[in-house]
Amino acid sequence: MDALTQGWPIAPMTLAAILLMAGATYATRITGYLLLGGRQLSVRMQSVMDTAPGAVLIAVLAPHYATGRPADLAALALTAIAATRLSLLPTVVIGIGSAAVLRAIAGG
Amino acid sequence: MTALSPLSPPAEPCPVQNALPNRARNAEIRRGIKASLPVMIGFVPFALVLGAQARTKGFAFAEVPLMTGLNFGGGSEFAAVGLWTSPPHLLLILAVTLLVNSRHILMGATLAPFLRHLPRRKVLPMLFLMCDESWAMALTDAKARQREGRAVVFSLPYYLSLSIGLYLSWVVFTALGAMIGPVLGDVTRFGFDMAFPAVFFVLLRGMWKGAATALPWAACALVAGTVYATIPGAWYVPAGALTGVITAWLIAGRRV
Repeated sequence: MDALTQGWPIAPMTLAAILLMAGATYATRITGYLLLGGRQLSVRMQSVMDTAPGAVLIAVLAPHYATGRPADLAALALTAIAATRLSLLPTVVIGIGSAAVLRAIAGG
Repeated sequence: MTALSPLSPPAEPCPVQNALPNRARNAEIRRGIKASLPVMIGFVPFALVLGAQARTKGFAFAEVPLMTGLNFGGGSEFAAVGLWTSPPHLLLILAVTLLVNSRHILMGATLAPFLRHLPRRKVLPMLFLMCDESWAMALTDAKARQREGRAVVFSLPYYLSLSIGLYLSWVVFTALGAMIGPVLGDVTRFGFDMAFPAVFFVLLRGMWKGAATALPWAACALVAGTVYATIPGAWYVPAGALTGVITAWLIAGRRV
């Protein structure tokens, strides 16, 4: 295994993951055109498609909000509020700044 | 023949797309580049954060542009990097990529009526470049040209120059992020790990569809958090996502 990975800048498992991602993403890009072009989706399917991407992102964030550390939760809430009205860069700055300050105050 | 619904095909499909005179085509290319510039700049901070974050998760430098260049879907790349382990959990990455990018299916379906005059061998490669932004801009443009009564409603040179600009910006700046990330050191020190949820929150704002998304997302957060705290492994992602999707399905049935 070491011989395979040494000097080779791309790890085989990483390459496999990237190729799977690329194939899956391209499939989503052409499926609508090939199969659904001109056809009307049901209200339920439309609603599911509207909700799924956001639900995945929220689920991926679980380690950030399920920690039970009050300082992290407060920083997360401040960042979420910032995101509703500011663009990316100020939101990131507020997120990093509030986490640093609140963690220092909480002593953790 | 002239009564056009928003999704009907062009009234008189141009039989030969390449019949556009060179000058008109160059004007369309310039229009596309101009339209892509602000969005190209908007991609930069996302791309830098993603590249830097990927390096802290164990990506080699070359693997970052490889992923962003072959996949070209920011949301799924942030999700993959967030769940990345060495070696990566292939099934989990695949499932999450499919779920995050499922919106492309709907986007492709709404674009399809405007592409009927183009052969498949042209449409299939050009759809590789379809992202949220290029889709929204191309669709808006096609609808505007339809109202103006143009013969060619979907401008291929406009779409291509616009989406190639976005593609280059994404790949180049994620690579740059991957290059300078290690110089900045471990970005999870101090509060730097909060950059990641910050990006997600801004992405989520764009996906917000009003009250109909609130309950499914809340249910998803509750279940994902509970599963994360109680069951080891990455089960919290499918558990939360499925809860959200099922909730959306149930609510939509109630509304109709």
